[in-house]
Amino acid sequence: MTRSNDKIAKLNENRHLKLSGKSPEKRERFLRHGRPHAHAHGARRKAVKLFIRRNSRLCTGLGMLMVLLFIAATAGVFSPYDPQALSHDMVAPPGAAHPLGTDGLGRDVLSIILHGSRISLLVGFTAAVISAIVGTLLGVTAGYWGGRVDALVGEFINAFMMMPTFFLILIVIALFGSGIGKVMIVIGLTGWTGNAKVMRAQAMSLRNRTFVKAAQAIGESRGRIMFAHIIPNGIMPVIANTAMGVCTAIMTESSLSFLGLGDPNVVSWGQLIYNGKAYITNGWWICVYGGLAIVFTVITFYLIGDGINILLNPKLRNVM
Amino acid sequence: MRRYLGKRTITAIISVLLVLVINFTIIRLAPGDPARLLVGTEAPSAEQVELITKKYGLDKPVYVQFLKYLGNLVRGDLGSSYYTNEPVAKLIGEKLGYTALLTLTALLIAVLLGTWAGISCARHIGGGLDNFVGSITYVIDGFPSFWLGLMLMLVFASVLGILPYSGIMNIRENYTGFRRVLDIAEHMVLPVATLAILHFPYYFRISRAAMIQTLGEEYMTTLWVAGMPKRRIFRKYAFRNAILPTVTAVSIHMAYIVTGSALVEIVFGWPGMGSYVMQSISRRDYPVLMGIYLMLSVSVAVMMIVIDVLYAVLDPRISHATRN
Amino acid sequence: MALLSIENLNVTYTTNGERVYAVDGVSLDVLQGRSLGIVGESGSGKSTLMHAVLRILHEKIAKVEGKIVFDGRDLLALDDREMMKLRWTELAVVFQKSMNALSPVHRVGSFMRDVYHVHRPEASREEGRARVLALLEMVNLPAKRVYRLYPHELSGGMMQRVGIAMSLMFNPKLLIMDEATTALDVVTQTQIIQEIQALEKQLNVTRIMVTHDMSVVATACDEVAVIYAGRLVEMGSTLDTLVDPLHPYTRCLIQSYPNFSDEGDACRSIPGTLPDMRERPEGCIFAARCPEAKEICLLQKPLMRDYGARRRAACHFAEVKSHD
Repeated sequence: MTRSNDKIAKLNENRHLKLSGKSPEKRERFLRHGRPHAHAHGARRKAVKLFIRRNSRLCTGLGMLMVLLFIAATAGVFSPYDPQALSHDMVAPPGAAHPLGTDGLGRDVLSIILHGSRISLLVGFTAAVISAIVGTLLGVTAGYWGGRVDALVGEFINAFMMMPTFFLILIVIALFGSGIGKVMIVIGLTGWTGNAKVMRAQAMSLRNRTFVKAAQAIGESRGRIMFAHIIPNGIMPVIANTAMGVCTAIMTESSLSFLGLGDPNVVSWGQLIYNGKAYITNGWWICVYGGLAIVFTVITFYLIGDGINILLNPKLRNVM
Repeated sequence: MRRYLGKRTITAIISVLLVLVINFTIIRLAPGDPARLLVGTEAPSAEQVELITKKYGLDKPVYVQFLKYLGNLVRGDLGSSYYTNEPVAKLIGEKLGYTALLTLTALLIAVLLGTWAGISCARHIGGGLDNFVGSITYVIDGFPSFWLGLMLMLVFASVLGILPYSGIMNIRENYTGFRRVLDIAEHMVLPVATLAILHFPYYFRISRAAMIQTLGEEYMTTLWVAGMPKRRIFRKYAFRNAILPTVTAVSIHMAYIVTGSALVEIVFGWPGMGSYVMQSISRRDYPVLMGIYLMLSVSVAVMMIVIDVLYAVLDPRISHATRN
Repeated sequence: MALLSIENLNVTYTTNGERVYAVDGVSLDVLQGRSLGIVGESGSGKSTLMHAVLRILHEKIAKVEGKIVFDGRDLLALDDREMMKLRWTELAVVFQKSMNALSPVHRVGSFMRDVYHVHRPEASREEGRARVLALLEMVNLPAKRVYRLYPHELSGGMMQRVGIAMSLMFNPKLLIMDEATTALDVVTQTQIIQEIQALEKQLNVTRIMVTHDMSVVATACDEVAVIYAGRLVEMGSTLDTLVDPLHPYTRCLIQSYPNFSDEGDACRSIPGTLPDMRERPEGCIFAARCPEAKEICLLQKPLMRDYGARRRAACHFAEVKSHD
């Protein structure tokens, strides 16, 4: 490109051109493409708008996430009642006193929904992060080491993936108790296979890259290469997968609560539906609003995960 | 073909072994006495505890226990439900039929509808239908299975009152013959609809992606340039090539069908595996739970092998590769 | 007498609200019996040009303007059905043979027979089979054996020959080979080119070869057209053009091929990349990368000038070197 730049620079000095008075960048653009320059100040705003338009899923998801985080942060402020406070107003339909009605024990549904966001986000994030860590570690080991280690760890990953994990979670919670902490850990320890596979694939393709070979040649230890080079470079698809993992974690937690294995001391949407199941005919608002909250949250993270995937691989734009 | 089967079969076997190990260790890691857990959480009699201890060798060293465990399994003995004292295997067998009825019907509907929708949308990517169905599947993906069931129940059983709430048949009227079949069918509508809606997005995506890829293949252009009418190209070439991933997807899905339907069964009180699991959980009937878990993983493993055979048969590339 | 005459052809793609000028004002013609090679970098628009001639560009995305006269008929004025009748019978194409040039789940013979029946629906199965076998023999393949094979069992060269056989099915007047030898190794490429040259003499077929490889054109084409970023920059007989290239781009292309005598010298590539095809510069399309560019090149578009003996070039400074 230097040749063309020199040439343009030389021509710039030529006063025959009727371009005096315009800035050098604009002149260069004109010379190159023969068109007047585009507005420089509107360009950034336009670029942002273009980004939003092209990555609508990701931006919608992020917007929804902002809403969720806001709700979770301000639940204490905006809840009209204490979500765990019982009242005599049992199974009351939505009205002035209780905008979304009350459940079987007189608890305000709106307050439960607002506070429940905290648990859902907490469980979702924690479980997803745990599975991300476990998955990344196992995946990078299998992918980078290769050979016998890959045969062993890789097979383990495949075999674990084949197992029906929901049942395992059921049994474990039934055996070990249903505290919310245990729920998070168990979900995290069973949902790592997706991340492991992704990280493994990334590690396998990255280990042949020049900068990795250079690091090996320099004499960096295996561990350092894995943690300093491979993981940071291969982490993006794992992040997308982890977003999806949040969806699964939230769904699993609410399913567990629905089965009665949830933590009864904690305000969760799944618990709300579990308690509201019996009142489906005369108290529809309990289950409906609880479920809608879950749907909203799951779709949020689904959009984010999908959006990141599309960002990484534009070919996926066509895939639904 | 034997060499190709080998790899996946090995993984399947390993996963079953994993389940065995997990089953084995988890009972012994859990808080509480394993014997008590295996007998039941209510106060068991001394003789019961003694019986269980002997059967599983709980007073012997770990490896002996494991051997005993495996020995029991090989004989087909998954333990006995503490509640009814019947062998777990028999209990599972009874319930399985009901679950199969529900899940297979729902699967059939989801596959047919989803594949048809996927193929249609693939032919007009980005069109109105494509965007519409695509958005719907996105939202469906966010529905918890039990919640969708509850919503359908609310609308059709409660508000509209045209379908029954739950159960498999009207127990008050004892129908027989054809009337009975209709009755069961009526009770099936809501749970099947729930399951079908939940699985629809999966098949929609797969068939759509497969068809999009097939339509973009070079031989499609060649056939079209050669003058073949589009309908013919679609019917003979696109369809046959695009259907392969869907077939694999169906087989894989079959493996996991029971787990997916458990929650829906519970919502609609359908007397299948799902409800049975629910009961066992509330009764803390561990032998049953572990037996079900094992059975599920075995069936998954078996399905994986079936899938491999199926795919090898359908795709000449694979059967040839392994022959050479 | 020109078999194919392209006049001022423009192909504009419209995606996401942006326009890409893939082909800009190209005019060239092909004489009967004189093979033409169309050369250009990847992304230069040469394939788009041929797709436009074949009219296989999607209407919604690509707008084609200009005139394409084939054997006296304006192709752009024909409706779809007439075009379909024309394609393959008088105007055929061989694409670059990738793995999926033929349907993977159908046998080669069955596929080719299907193509035959498109234009000869009244022919019987045996007639179709006989024709296919004859074609396969014509391209030096073991006909009976290849007939029964699946595409993945063919080597690259065999696949290419099948493609050629298929394109010659109805003895077309014009055969377009779109990067047809790009995917082959040099040895096979040479073989196939020689076989094609023999065939086209035998069958009286005129050939257009689209390629980025100047050496292929040098050995196998009577005339050459050089395309850069959607515009035609030079055209003429191969001999004239290679010996005395008029356009700087052609000179650069030729120079970039290492010579035997250049041992030890650095490779001469053309610095820079193709310009952004979303914009239509007012000057010469090659000016930004041209080593000989002057001011006028950036400001004024050079017209296509005739230099006698079917030689044309679009450059302000092109001159035929006088022969001593």
